[in-house]
Amino acid sequence: MTPLLLVAGALVGLGAAVATGARDARTASLGLVGLLVMAPFVADPLPAPLPLAFGVVAGILAGFLVYVAARRAPDRAPPTLGLPATIGAAAAGFAAGIGATAVTLPRLGPDAALAAGLAALAVAIGPIAIARDAFRLGSALIVLVASGFLVLTALAGTPPPLTGIAAAILVVALAAAVAVVGGGAAALGGTSGPDGPDRRAATSRARSDHR
Amino acid sequence: MSLLPFLAVASLGTLIVTVLRDRRWLGTVAAIAAILVALGAAVVVRPDAPLGIGGGALAGSDHLRVVLVLCLASGLLVLIVARLATWQPSAPGALLGGAAGIGLALGLAGTPPALLGAAAATVAASALALGSPAAPSRIRALARELRGATTSVVVGLVAAGIVPGTAAIVPGTAAATGAGPVPAEPAAAALVLLGMALVLAHRFGAIPLHARVSRLADATPSSALPILAAWLPAAWGIVILGWAPVALGPSSEALGLERALIVTLALMTLLLGAVAALIQDEVDHVVAYTIVADAGIALLALAALDPAARDAARAWVLVFATTRTALIGWTIAFRAAFGTGRLRDTAGWLRRAPSLGVALAAILLAVVGWPGLLAWDARLAILQSATAGPALLLAYAGSLGTGVAICRLLVVGAGRPSAIVAGAVGELPRLPGRPSGATSGPATPASPGTAAAGSPSVRARAAASSLPGRLRGLAATIGRDARPALELNRVPLRAFVVILLAGLALLTAVGAFGIEAAARAAGPALPSLGPLVGG
Repeated sequence: MTPLLLVAGALVGLGAAVATGARDARTASLGLVGLLVMAPFVADPLPAPLPLAFGVVAGILAGFLVYVAARRAPDRAPPTLGLPATIGAAAAGFAAGIGATAVTLPRLGPDAALAAGLAALAVAIGPIAIARDAFRLGSALIVLVASGFLVLTALAGTPPPLTGIAAAILVVALAAAVAVVGGGAAALGGTSGPDGPDRRAATSRARSDHR
Repeated sequence: MSLLPFLAVASLGTLIVTVLRDRRWLGTVAAIAAILVALGAAVVVRPDAPLGIGGGALAGSDHLRVVLVLCLASGLLVLIVARLATWQPSAPGALLGGAAGIGLALGLAGTPPALLGAAAATVAASALALGSPAAPSRIRALARELRGATTSVVVGLVAAGIVPGTAAIVPGTAAATGAGPVPAEPAAAALVLLGMALVLAHRFGAIPLHARVSRLADATPSSALPILAAWLPAAWGIVILGWAPVALGPSSEALGLERALIVTLALMTLLLGAVAALIQDEVDHVVAYTIVADAGIALLALAALDPAARDAARAWVLVFATTRTALIGWTIAFRAAFGTGRLRDTAGWLRRAPSLGVALAAILLAVVGWPGLLAWDARLAILQSATAGPALLLAYAGSLGTGVAICRLLVVGAGRPSAIVAGAVGELPRLPGRPSGATSGPATPASPGTAAAGSPSVRARAAASSLPGRLRGLAATIGRDARPALELNRVPLRAFVVILLAGLALLTAVGAFGIEAAARAAGPALPSLGPLVGG
């Protein structure tokens, strides 16, 4: 494991923590950009230049889409944990991933990928399990996809470029969907997520397009 | 290469119908045209030379062609039924986007890209169907779908990373050198099997994860429900069930406890899903719980870890998705005919809607089938692969639950008509009344004596009496008369289209379109086409 891989993995973990733990939605979206741009570099060997560039560009595009949603996100939906606690959770996940070398987990990829994947997983689980706000949920889902891809990289080695391309397409689609959810929530005055406090009030059928 | 035109047409169609969704008539015409063009492109998908992309491959197959054709054809018929009742602007885009995603997912080689494609298809179709117009229940349903699809794909990616589906055919491995398949580490295989079962259970809505389907039925525009609740789960199922026998088949002896756990979950789903479908009062929820009940069969196909069960499941999943699409189309027509979907308010509905009754009976036949029919044989093959003895009996009884739920709808329809049913419009076609003095033919020319030869009126009369003139007049008449006639005959037209849907379901159930051969021909190579490291 080279120091550069370790630094890239640590940056991914930090980006995941900021994406899910920052109070300001725009700061969170910047953390997401950092995570998505750095994630393709946590692989040994590195992907070919073209798939690597595809992943980076897709990450920037996804981050931009989430940033657009963040501008309309209500301020009254802070993250479940504060930023310091989220960074702590990410650090714990990172340490657990690095420590996994001690239990000879059979895998073909670098330890840094497993560490970064577990760090991202650790901070994404909370906002997904209890999703009170649509924007927070969307950000956490993108972090979760990145963590899944990193764990796959750790277990099976650097994935074929096609897998990376498919993952990048999914991330962009997810970011666009997050923008749609965020826009819809903002249009409705800040509708909360599926586990929000007012979920019982909105169980009536959506027949607004019926005539 | 034959898949590329379909992907291009379906993606472009999605874009066009989404842009035009706020225009009622133009949007309708564009949607029907785009789906027809995509259907034409799907028909020519065939197993040909794979297109190399990024170290992987994209290729068509006979099974993929059947999936796409049935998805688009049945989806189009449901859209027409819905359009004859109301205007649901987001549904055509969801259908086309979902179909494009299914084509991508089932055409990509390797399990991880296929899972990522299925997740992207789910995300895109959900956003298109539920994103606009915004309503609290829809935004929640969309957020829930995003959460479910993302969690599923991550679990699937990790599982496929631990036990790659194509590891057994990687050059240099024992399998490739003829030493036989390599079983995975038992603990890892157990974890992976349970993870994939969780994904399959969530995508199909197996109990106790059934709330997703019911809530989706509440929030989604009804004509977008087939793609979200039937076809996309079917695509997930095809990917996972294609991977499982290759990846975990060699370890199946060591997975007795885990397989028993999945079989138990499947039996619970079959039985409780059927009970839930029987006690629902809303027809939408009856259909939703029949989907839940049949999730049990998908889980049994996974628990079998058997290539024979995989091939049977590939055929069964098409019957499942087509019959559920037909049922959803039936509920749309039913709701539109009586203004409600509550069974307690629509007793005796068969008197007013006998054509809907015929269609429902045909769907019942397609769902249950009989020995020798594809629907029956495929289902039985799955049940026998995964269960034996009393468990097989329970599974067999539970698998008939959907049929029992449909029989209940027919029994309710045979009762004494309620006030709502008595006041509903019947299915007999009607002709629009013509205002006095109005004519439907070409403009009546002036009398012969009033105009000299060669004058404009004479030339107009001559033009009107010619063949092109008569055709123009006929077109004008149809244009003038069609709209009132359409308005008057929405009920019989809907019933007619639902009968077409039921016929399509019946054709699928009997194994038309070469379903069985396509399912068998795919072999272990669907969706994995070649030796790729990492699945």
